[in-house]
Amino acid sequence: MVVVNLTVLAWMLVTSLREHREIFARPFDWPTFAWGNYAKAWQSADFGVAAGNSLLLVATAAVAVVIVAAPAGYALGRGVGRAAASLTLYFALGIGVPVQVIVIPLFVLMERLSLVNNLFGLFLLYVAVSLPFTVFLLTGYFASLPAELEEAAAIDGASRLRAFWTIMLPLARSGLITAFTLNAIGLWNEAFLALVFVQSTGKQTLPLALLGFLAKQQYSGADYGVLFAGVAMLVLPMLLLYVWLGRRIIEGMTLGAGK
Amino acid sequence: MAVLVREHARLHRPHGPSISRQRRRAFLVLTLPAVILYTIFFVGPTLASFWVSLHAWDGVTEMRWRGLGNYALLLEDEVFLAAFRNTLAILLAGGLLVFLLSFALLLGMRAMAGRRFARSVIFFPNIIAPIVLSVLWGFLFSTGGLVDAALSGMGLDPPNWLGDHLFLVIFLGLIWTHTGFYVTILMAATDRIPRYFYEAAELDGAGPLQQFRHITMPLTWDVVSTAAVIWTISSLKVFDFIYAFGGTSNDLPPIHTWNTAVFIYAQTFGGRVPAYSFGYASASAVVTLVSIVIFVLLLRRVIRRDPIQF
Repeated sequence: MVVVNLTVLAWMLVTSLREHREIFARPFDWPTFAWGNYAKAWQSADFGVAAGNSLLLVATAAVAVVIVAAPAGYALGRGVGRAAASLTLYFALGIGVPVQVIVIPLFVLMERLSLVNNLFGLFLLYVAVSLPFTVFLLTGYFASLPAELEEAAAIDGASRLRAFWTIMLPLARSGLITAFTLNAIGLWNEAFLALVFVQSTGKQTLPLALLGFLAKQQYSGADYGVLFAGVAMLVLPMLLLYVWLGRRIIEGMTLGAGK
Repeated sequence: MAVLVREHARLHRPHGPSISRQRRRAFLVLTLPAVILYTIFFVGPTLASFWVSLHAWDGVTEMRWRGLGNYALLLEDEVFLAAFRNTLAILLAGGLLVFLLSFALLLGMRAMAGRRFARSVIFFPNIIAPIVLSVLWGFLFSTGGLVDAALSGMGLDPPNWLGDHLFLVIFLGLIWTHTGFYVTILMAATDRIPRYFYEAAELDGAGPLQQFRHITMPLTWDVVSTAAVIWTISSLKVFDFIYAFGGTSNDLPPIHTWNTAVFIYAQTFGGRVPAYSFGYASASAVVTLVSIVIFVLLLRRVIRRDPIQF
């Protein structure tokens, strides 16, 4: 399995650098460094615009989710009593609800707000659907922080909001970075909501551009070199992130089950 | 989820007198933005799905009351039943295979050099867009692709994978992409088991399989049951991976490969001429949601045991 994964990854990168005719003749061979594939994908196959949209959307939405979820995670993770416990459950239940279950009412709601086919609308949805998991993650993280510092702050007369802002938030930095990274990964790869809520080519994200390119291939003939250049654009940022923050990503994603 | 709540109760036994008003206000200020967003854009739509499923509706004109009519129709709809069967096949047979494979890999990797690296590589598909995985997987099984080459190398006649056995290809692909996640979870759980348990068992003459059965299994059972719940939820969420097979931004994959998620999309926004049957699709959404609840409750009842402290 390890070998299969590595082979597929390497083959994908190599193929993205070869001409279509060669790929067809001999699927497995060394690259001829056809960098033109990337230029072609970037310009004519709309991957360039889509990459810009994806980047903007993912960066802003992942930051916004953390900004909204962090205070809630703090209040729930360090909160006392029934209210905190039941609110924690309220958010956790959302993890079990697939997006396709809520997409129809969401579509009607967004249409009434005239936010369909609108990047801001997609941004709002991305923040909302990422909330349950992020609140869950950060609640667990804040609960694991030592209580002494907070108590000391309370004794010094700091209000709860102030204690959160000046003491707990900096302490939780690592958890916040994990939450940001995981959301960025999830949203970068997200296709379903984009498929439903984006209609024009100028507003599509990278996964949509890839689907659109697959559609075009059916009429104008395939160009696997360019296809794989597009695929590489989706994969490479994730690969770099993974090499850089791999342990953090793995631990964050598997956190729910470990406890 | 329940685990977190239990944890919560343990960590936060009320340790003072009543909460002061100031604390309560702070609690509200901190949680309100998240609660509002989540309620409007997530909980509200979930509840609305139930309401919409009782009507005939295209999203524009008036809703027409239909009672349970949509559900009765679903039960007779061959396409939906096939999609539901596929969903169950992925959930049950796929789940069994994912867990068997995970345990096999776990056993195989126990003594392996560079297992951290191996784990990272196996986990990698989890952070790649399912669409991309789908494209790559499709190429492996394409006519004259890697799989065909391997089969003819062994002297076998390769079948027409993408034409005749597309669901099987998708099924195997889902197992390929998901297994890494469960290997990682189980590996973290087994790493916490002290080495001397195994050393003692070895002294008593237990082989690797016996050690697995009498030490690893009981001590990781808690994690296995949580992982099973996660699999249930994530297997019902599968959409992109199936959709990208033959599906493009305006076409749908072949009907016999649909699961309930693709069915919902096909009944509403998908295809060249979207159907917009919101009421009917909502009924299948509700069926999906209710199946998740049933399966999770069943799982909790069947495999829940008290975790062993060590």
